[in-house]
Amino acid sequence: MVENRPWLSFLTHLVLIAGVVVVVFPVYLAFIASTHGSGDFMRGLVPLLPGPHMLENYGRMLTQGISTAGAPPVSIMLMNSTIIAIIIAVGKIAISLLSAYAIVFFKFPFRLLAFWIIFITLMLPVEVRIIPTFAVVANLGLLNSYVGLTLPLIASATATFLFRQFFLTVPDELMEAARVDGAGPMKFFRDILLPLSRTNIAALFVILFIYGWVQYLWPLLVTTDSKYYTVVMGIKRLAATADSEPLWNLVMASVILAMLPPVLVVIFMQRLFVKGLVDTEK
Amino acid sequence: MATIDLIDLKKNYGNVPAVKGVNLKVADGELIVLVGPSGCGKSTLLRMVAGLETVTSGRLEIGGRDVVKAEPAERDIAMVFQNYALYPHMSVRGNLEYGLKNRGTPRAEIDRRVQEAADILEIGPLLDRKPRQLSGGQRQRVAMGRAIVREPAAFLFDEPLSNLDAKLRVQMRVEIRKLQRRLKTTSLYVTHDQLEAMTLADRLVVMNAGLVEQIGTPTEVYDHPATLFVAGFIGSPPMNLIDVASLSNRRGLDGLPAGTDIIGIRPDVLFLTPQEGISLSMQGTVELLEPIGGESHLHVRLDSSGQSVVLSVPGRPNIAEGSAVTLHARVADIHPFNAQTGRRTDTAVANL
Amino acid sequence: MQTKRTIFPNKFLPYALLAPQLAVTLVFFIWPAAQAVKSSFEREDPFGFRTTFIWFENYTRLFSEPGYLNSLTKTGIFAVSVTLLSMSLSLLLAVAVNRVIKSNRAYTTLLVWPYAVAPVVVGILWWFMFNPTIGIAPYLLRGLGISWNHRVDGNQAMILVVIAASWKQISYNFLFFVAGLQSVPQSLNEAAAIDGAGPFKRFWTIVFPLLSPTTFFLLIVNINYAMFDTFGLIDATTNGGPNQATNILVYKVYADGFLGLNIGSSAAQSVVLMLIVIALTAIQFRFIERRVQY
Repeated sequence: MVENRPWLSFLTHLVLIAGVVVVVFPVYLAFIASTHGSGDFMRGLVPLLPGPHMLENYGRMLTQGISTAGAPPVSIMLMNSTIIAIIIAVGKIAISLLSAYAIVFFKFPFRLLAFWIIFITLMLPVEVRIIPTFAVVANLGLLNSYVGLTLPLIASATATFLFRQFFLTVPDELMEAARVDGAGPMKFFRDILLPLSRTNIAALFVILFIYGWVQYLWPLLVTTDSKYYTVVMGIKRLAATADSEPLWNLVMASVILAMLPPVLVVIFMQRLFVKGLVDTEK
Repeated sequence: MATIDLIDLKKNYGNVPAVKGVNLKVADGELIVLVGPSGCGKSTLLRMVAGLETVTSGRLEIGGRDVVKAEPAERDIAMVFQNYALYPHMSVRGNLEYGLKNRGTPRAEIDRRVQEAADILEIGPLLDRKPRQLSGGQRQRVAMGRAIVREPAAFLFDEPLSNLDAKLRVQMRVEIRKLQRRLKTTSLYVTHDQLEAMTLADRLVVMNAGLVEQIGTPTEVYDHPATLFVAGFIGSPPMNLIDVASLSNRRGLDGLPAGTDIIGIRPDVLFLTPQEGISLSMQGTVELLEPIGGESHLHVRLDSSGQSVVLSVPGRPNIAEGSAVTLHARVADIHPFNAQTGRRTDTAVANL
Repeated sequence: MQTKRTIFPNKFLPYALLAPQLAVTLVFFIWPAAQAVKSSFEREDPFGFRTTFIWFENYTRLFSEPGYLNSLTKTGIFAVSVTLLSMSLSLLLAVAVNRVIKSNRAYTTLLVWPYAVAPVVVGILWWFMFNPTIGIAPYLLRGLGISWNHRVDGNQAMILVVIAASWKQISYNFLFFVAGLQSVPQSLNEAAAIDGAGPFKRFWTIVFPLLSPTTFFLLIVNINYAMFDTFGLIDATTNGGPNQATNILVYKVYADGFLGLNIGSSAAQSVVLMLIVIALTAIQFRFIERRVQY
């Protein structure tokens, strides 16, 4: 800071505290709601202080769920979300590493075409091609399966570009030294390039795990069997019923459970998260 | 232990020739230094021998075996890179072992060779460190070690000292020379530093614009530069090249071979005092005196042409800048050249 | 395009390496997109037996349909409001964080985690806050004499989704603004201070102009976000209602195609959306090229 002005510092902290309150308050409210009994919502205003039913509510949602909502217990949906987010993250990283490797370390006919085909995926989010994509997945018999939930999301231009960018910064001589040392292309990839990409892979994993976790439209389309529900889409079903029945406490318990894993990832891997976020946009 | 034969080796990048046909026979155990200005094709040539550049035409044999189509790993060579190219995520030991492991060398043999190389290079205490924990000189040693453990048919050095500071460079230069003498491994060494080239080489290959200008021992090349380019490139300060036509007094030049229109005189054989025997003398004015310790460089502008020449003079002569001097050179010290061909006009210098 | 100085000589390996990525792209991206383009020029008879090629009829019909024009307008209002609200709050917070030294990390941690909250969950959180019967916001607003019911009032519904969507995007914008602020050389700020500029003047004359690459980049990203990543949020809060008041394009394409089963119109809508994404991506990449030179 150039100069020291107490009132400005005060204002700065005031702004930040107000910001934190705005950001945290909706979640605080949800958490409070999740600690009350269902009767506490009859009086017309949500409670603002914790109630005594926290363990009961969370326990119930994890093990049983709400039978009328047609969603399985949250623990099953959490498991599904975890599996899907991990498959998507690992899958995207794996195929992007391989394609970036091909594009940077080899010269071959149609290299530019391949690059452009990958690039185009940036311009085709699921949201703009819902029906034909659904038709493809349905025709392949992939509805209600982990493959159907993950495979169509696994292509990644951003991850490919990120690795391409990184590979270009790896000194040429490293690959030459490895070749002189008798390493073929796959050996070089495994022994040298992968270990060097470790940080990038980890940062990308954080971002892509979150990406996979928060998917909503796609799971909504391809799953009708509640066995495959992810927590994010399952919650929507719970919330829809909560409007008719006062089950706010249970819905909010599931909301907190659905938020927790990716939020914890961001908080505890903040450095990787920030790196991943900033790198993927370059 | 091997010979390396380059037979009319050429390299084009698209239509641009980088190496225009090089012939070279490297004897077993010999250290050959490829020297020349940047862009002269010396690195490309080395990388062709390594197998890192494809060969456009010509033949390339290592140990009598044609290796034009062989992968780098199949050529039984080891290479030391300018930026060392140490694997940053592996320990020093890991770096040394990697090539051996890839070749399926037995564990005991790997350990023996790593230990031996570590002893030779005195890097034993560094074996478990990562490259980023090492100083520049230590990395250089590890890069050498990685080449040594392979016990290859040939070492290829690509400007291995240019990332070091001046003092360390001299020290490592001496070590490389001693090491090569001890191991007697055939070596090709690329540098742009003519001093490094002179001190290291069994034979020098001076390259310019994709062609070999001269091949010879450092003394041969220094004493009998085959071309004007070599004359100007080897030696510091460089040889004075003077247009014969510009001299007002050509006494002493009558005996030079026909076709001589440029003469070269090294700075250390230009004198301020008359010399015995037939000699050439030139009038000039002192422009600048540079004392560099044990000797001084005297820059003199010739009256006849306005060209500047340099003299190396022992000690610190007491001459004021601006004073008139007469320079003397023995005819025996004069190198005769032809400007048209760029070559010597006296004896043809053997080139292989 | 750039490669390494030396490359591996293998002929078939690169194709094998690219195969998985290209297969997924072709099957699940290119092919469906091509299908959408194709069906946008076709009409299917009610029994699905015959399709007729009808040129741009789906498009002309689309752009004369009041519901679609309404959706375009609402999308515009929504995207612009979210972008402005979220970016201005984020910039304020980023500037503030950039001023504090000790508690910098703690504030950052507290501000960035909403990035990881799914849009649909964001929708539920705000829907709960603004729930007309038990929500805290309507309760407080009643104190101010405002009656809140976004199930009936279209403008209130729009305000709700704008607030919710902006809330989620604050973390993202915040991180990029902080990164942008940190790349403004401290010496410039000091030079301006010596030149007698106060902190506010310094911000508007020195820092904000230097931040313009970041601002422009975020502008595009935010519009993109508001248009395409907010499906779940709309689905959880308003379902596009009341009376189409929040029926933005991505929600409409889903509702018409999936629930309404109008293939031709939905395909034409998809193609329009693709063109929008292509335009946004093109602008973004043009800008990145310029930033490289900058």
